Amino acid sequence: MAAACTSASSSSDSAEQDALKALTFQRLHPRTYLERFLAKNTRPDRREFDEWRDISLNVGSISTADGSALVRLGSTTVVCGVKAEIAEPELDHPEEGFLVPNLDLPAICSPKFKPGPPTDEAQVLSDRLNEVLVSSGVVPTASLCIEPGKAVWVLYVDATCMNYDGNAFDATLLAMVAALKNTRLPKATYNEETKRTICSRKVMEPLRIGRLPTSFSFGIFDGTHMLADPTSFEEPLLDTTISVVVDETGGLTSVMQLGLGIVGGDDVLDKCIKAAKTCWRATRRNVYETS
Amino acid sequence: MAQSNFDRRRINGPDESYQPIFESDDELEPKWKPGNPRKGRGARDLRPIYLKAGFISQANGSAYIETEKTKIACAVYGPRQSKTTVYNEKGRLNVEVKFAPFSCTRRRVPIRDAEDRSVAVQIQQALVAAVRLELLPKSTIDIFLTIIENDGIEGCVAAGSVAASVALADAGIEMLGLVASCSAAIVGEEVWVDPTDEEGRIASGTLVLAGMPALGTITSVWQTGSMAPHDAVKCMEACQECCTDIHAVMAQVLLENAGKT
Repeated sequence: MAAACTSASSSSDSAEQDALKALTFQRLHPRTYLERFLAKNTRPDRREFDEWRDISLNVGSISTADGSALVRLGSTTVVCGVKAEIAEPELDHPEEGFLVPNLDLPAICSPKFKPGPPTDEAQVLSDRLNEVLVSSGVVPTASLCIEPGKAVWVLYVDATCMNYDGNAFDATLLAMVAALKNTRLPKATYNEETKRTICSRKVMEPLRIGRLPTSFSFGIFDGTHMLADPTSFEEPLLDTTISVVVDETGGLTSVMQLGLGIVGGDDVLDKCIKAAKTCWRATRRNVYETS
Repeated sequence: MAQSNFDRRRINGPDESYQPIFESDDELEPKWKPGNPRKGRGARDLRPIYLKAGFISQANGSAYIETEKTKIACAVYGPRQSKTTVYNEKGRLNVEVKFAPFSCTRRRVPIRDAEDRSVAVQIQQALVAAVRLELLPKSTIDIFLTIIENDGIEGCVAAGSVAASVALADAGIEMLGLVASCSAAIVGEEVWVDPTDEEGRIASGTLVLAGMPALGTITSVWQTGSMAPHDAVKCMEACQECCTDIHAVMAQVLLENAGKT
């Protein structure tokens, strides 16, 4: 009995020791660690090269915001809220409202972010999201006009990352578009005499949504391996990241590339676009229908 | 007027934008009058608490608390090496609070202001007596809170302290006991426990109490507004009773979480 107990405890001990050794190796030599996995045609979290993590989407849970969404892409968690305010339009665009997206990567979401002003990463992501939302026309700014030249809606779309496990771009785009789809604005009327805009609490209208883009990000490791949906462990080791944005008809909206130029071959972009479209057809076609 | 200062690190909107003004004759519900009973629950009833530990995989310890309209996420990183070169015998507890821009009725600009810091100081006061900092020289424990939805500042401070305490336990940091915290308000002649934002506004004074029910001690008391001393004592007693209930919920959540891993 005693011998069986000690052998059982020693085998669990050695399993623990192995796990500790693997963890130490991962910390000290991350690149070699990843290369060993890729040589066996798999990734550290046991996904295939072109497999995406599970997505869960939850909308409308924040009552102080006009629209909200919570997205979980694997462990990466992003919360997005839309607040609507009223402002005067610009002089050269009197019938256009404003859409102001921003992503915040606070210290809570990862040990590599320190409290303080937005880091480079947050600024770059905010800018890329702004480009995608404006270029794909998710909310046509003409629909945000209350009274030409006098009052327009300003939609502040603020996303906060709660848990950063890689691929914040995909998760945030999903959260922002879902939050916009969930937004309901009060009916506003501009009063000529008092020069003020009064809103009604009783009549709420949903936003007019143009297109519903989703994005698919890939990382290129070592110029050869194409990894879909990189995690926070894989991200710093990648040479290049390619993001493909697809709209609700399966059509291509935009392609962005960050990092070194692609060494492998000219067809890497084509492969990424095809993989994105396949994934869209398989899983993401109705991702926004849950709201 | 909610002014958005030009921040060159973020995408900016127009220079000035203001909150929508609603029609003044939209009084859907009659205002509260003194002598009316509390709406929706008893004077000493807490709102139901939903607490979850360990939901941020990147952090050493984390917790998420939701009580109807207050939603707070908390992460603990530490013990980490202190950034300062000055030798400190006892560890340092650093609490930072951030309100999400969409968490209040009026949009908050992302720049940190005095309200963030005052909530952080109150939560730090509640916790610092409970954590065994003398075991962690030269180290810092960072506690970051993000307030996703805000329903009254007192409620935020109380819920934040509870979440931070669960996150510290989840991170395995040694403490003398779990800190539970609760707020109360004097409305008319009655003591209402766990006031919402609306109720806090009609109250004449509010009080937030934090303590360790396991040891029967109090770690911090903050009182605002005006109330007679005997009313303050009544509030404190009501809070202490509720803290015992909250402690049971916290212990349950931590046990379940430990059982899963």
